[in-house]
Amino acid sequence: MRFGSVDELEGALRDADYLPDRGLATSIFLALEMRRPLLLEGEAGVGKTEVAKTLARLLGADLIRLQCYEGIDASQALYEWDYARQLLYARALQAGELDVRAHASELYGPDFLVERPLLKAIRSGDRAVLLIDELDRADDEFEAFLLEILSDYTVTVPEIGTIAADEPPAVVVTSNRTRELHDALKRRCLYHWIEFPDLEREVEIIRLRAPEVPLRLARSVAEAVSRLRELDLVKPPGAAEAIDWARALALLGAEEAAGPDALQTLGWAVKNRDDLRAVEAAGLGG
Amino acid sequence: MVDETRTLVEFARALRGQGLPAGTGATAEFCRAASLLEPTDLYWAGRATLVARREEIPTYDRVFREFFGAQLAPIPLPPPKPHVRLVTAGLDEGPEGDAGDASSPAVALASRVEILRRKSFDRCTREELDEIARLAAGFARALPRRHSRRRRPSTAGPLDLPRTLRRSLRTGGEPFDRRFRERRRAPRPLILLLDVSGSMADHSQALLVLAHSLRRIQPRTEVYCFGTRLTSATRALAVTDPDEALRRAAAQVVDWEGGTRIGESLKEFLDGTGHRGSARGAIVVVCSDGLDVGEPALLAEQMARLHRLAHRIVWLNPLKKDPAYEPLARGMEAALPYVDVFSSGHNLASLEEIALELSS
Repeated sequence: MRFGSVDELEGALRDADYLPDRGLATSIFLALEMRRPLLLEGEAGVGKTEVAKTLARLLGADLIRLQCYEGIDASQALYEWDYARQLLYARALQAGELDVRAHASELYGPDFLVERPLLKAIRSGDRAVLLIDELDRADDEFEAFLLEILSDYTVTVPEIGTIAADEPPAVVVTSNRTRELHDALKRRCLYHWIEFPDLEREVEIIRLRAPEVPLRLARSVAEAVSRLRELDLVKPPGAAEAIDWARALALLGAEEAAGPDALQTLGWAVKNRDDLRAVEAAGLGG
Repeated sequence: MVDETRTLVEFARALRGQGLPAGTGATAEFCRAASLLEPTDLYWAGRATLVARREEIPTYDRVFREFFGAQLAPIPLPPPKPHVRLVTAGLDEGPEGDAGDASSPAVALASRVEILRRKSFDRCTREELDEIARLAAGFARALPRRHSRRRRPSTAGPLDLPRTLRRSLRTGGEPFDRRFRERRRAPRPLILLLDVSGSMADHSQALLVLAHSLRRIQPRTEVYCFGTRLTSATRALAVTDPDEALRRAAAQVVDWEGGTRIGESLKEFLDGTGHRGSARGAIVVVCSDGLDVGEPALLAEQMARLHRLAHRIVWLNPLKKDPAYEPLARGMEAALPYVDVFSSGHNLASLEEIALELSS
């Protein structure tokens, strides 16, 4: 599926309940058109991961997610041989087999290859959206290893050969900036920094994601959240927190994000004890 | 079309002139992106292809406005809070230690290494510091480690199937010879927070030399300098030539001389990368005499925050080498409850003791 213009893509994202700003929509459009990975950075909860999920729905593609963590390596990200099965198969063959050669190549055939997310995405090609989530958590070596895959969309398995994608999958890479990613990797990606949404967009986002929340409450929550972001908090609430908080308030039947209901549900928006104290000191949320 | 391309290329060159890494490849991408978009989206075409870091956005915005006029630039986004501001200060007051009183004939017979290990950093010459930096490799290796998720061959532990399978080929496919693996132990990230104000400048510069050599053993060593505000020296220390590294670090550090706001500097560190992950499970070394001109309450609060994130907090205070020293400075008093190891750290021997204490 292709989009003729940024406007068309923006409309489609809206229909899929995701409200991007113009910059994000443009970046996604360019990433799709230019077949380049899209590197998204921004505070937690601004909807980085959501971009990939929405994109998958929009393109009718599978979302293949690779959650990064420290020490992740090729056997968890790319492929691994199913050693236990290979061993059993080799044992089963023992009795009176003569044509060893044929079976040896069978042992390292596709039957025994365990696909991990990256290989799966390359094989699926444009039927997949590959989400490489929180790449900053992985170590440097892994980033270097990703370079080949992200620039050529090919994977080399020594026993089988090179597997290339006919049409590359759409790739979304996210980072929380716990460390700076390497420039070599950044060069291969389009880059977008997602800001917190402005007030109007946030109201719209809450309404879209939580339709049960009345407009007045949604607006009140969006206002309260934007005031919270102005405080000097360790973890300012993102759009995800705003949605959760609005939902919680709606369930309690509150009409606005103020008073005792707001105070009791504040934990949905502010999830750090020092921050809660700072909010109380500022006289907000109560 | 040719003219348009020329304009775009000139714009990219202007960005390069302002320090953005807009190479030829990125410029070509930019032109391609621009051709795919409406002229009104030109701003975003460049943002996605020529900018690779949040801090570069304000520069991009400025050059864009100069080049294409304000009408093509969309509403300016609120400028990001700068985590670190780089200010080029004079390089003249460079990190030259006071040479001269280096060694007396009386101690010339003793092992040179032993002398160096005991010599206070602020009395070392630059050459001696380099030598100490080489000796410090042992210090880095002695630091505590954590279990990594990667595995390595071992004599016991869970079965290592790939290697067992390969071995079994020697015995006709029968896995007689079993192989095992265990979790690798990786060094913990090391974070140095160096006070570079007045009295501490000499010690901190010595630790900068050490930090540069430590980075080769533990790549995840981060260095921040603080006085009245915090500056990251990590990038500056990434170059291989130690002198060049020091020169760059010195150029970035805002205030070699001046008061100390430890609490605010810590807060800046934690609000920046610290809380998001770099301080998590790390060994954090603060080097300061604790003469804080800021609020002690703020310092205590930030130390508590750091304490919850870090694996261990080491506080180096060169004043402590005097046995009569008592932590009376308000800042020192406020920070001390959260410190795991409090030591003078004024020479290599003292640093090695700390490494031992941390690993025990």
